[in-house]
Amino acid sequence: MSVLKVYPDSMMDAATLAQMNGEYAMPPDAGPAWRAAAEYGFDMSLIEASLKLTPEQRLAEHQQVIDFLIELQESSQAHGAK
Amino acid sequence: MAQNDQALLTRLKDSGLEFVVIGGLCVVYHGVPVATFDLDICCPFGEENVRKIASAVKDLHPIHRLTANQLSLEQTRSSFKDLKNVYLQTDLGKLDCLSEVAGLGSYEQVFQQSILHRMSFGQFRMLSLDALIAAKVAAGRQKDLDAVRLLRAVKERSAKPRELF
Repeated sequence: MSVLKVYPDSMMDAATLAQMNGEYAMPPDAGPAWRAAAEYGFDMSLIEASLKLTPEQRLAEHQQVIDFLIELQESSQAHGAK
Repeated sequence: MAQNDQALLTRLKDSGLEFVVIGGLCVVYHGVPVATFDLDICCPFGEENVRKIASAVKDLHPIHRLTANQLSLEQTRSSFKDLKNVYLQTDLGKLDCLSEVAGLGSYEQVFQQSILHRMSFGQFRMLSLDALIAAKVAAGRQKDLDAVRLLRAVKERSAKPRELF
């Protein structure tokens, strides 16, 4: 009896593979400003993620990032001072 | 040095100062994730309002961070009536208070182009998206113009029904 093997990877289309490798999937109805920002080099997936949050969640996330960056900076300075 | 914007905002509000949040935090508010290491507000000035700022940060060792000899805010009380901007370093971070915003105008004009937003820690006025774009265009530095590109994209998207994206 033969066994049918399925290789999911072989069914991967080129676009999906490119996205897995970091290529941004431009929304089909993205407007000119959105396209221009993406083409300029901004990672628009970060903007998409941010827009899914409420403004208060954005500020809270920003605070976490700032806390981390300050901690990193202080740690780096302390390390450099040794 | 810490930067706790929420705590600074709450203190400013509790002091009775009227103000609008401008600058980088406003960029974050509108959906562009940038890292900003100070809190910028626009507020009316005059001795009474600077006293309110001083009362909001009085126990945070505030100093005029741009002065060569790092003058404490308290030391300069006699000059409060002459100030048009205040750039402070406090124990809760940097706080910049401006009497006007390039591209928008005086506090009254900034106020008119602000929106009131309720958050869990209080209601605060933020620059509207259009006003923020105008202010960033007027500021004109590379980082401001980069923010403008993204803010325009956010504006464009906000004009579309969300499910399309």
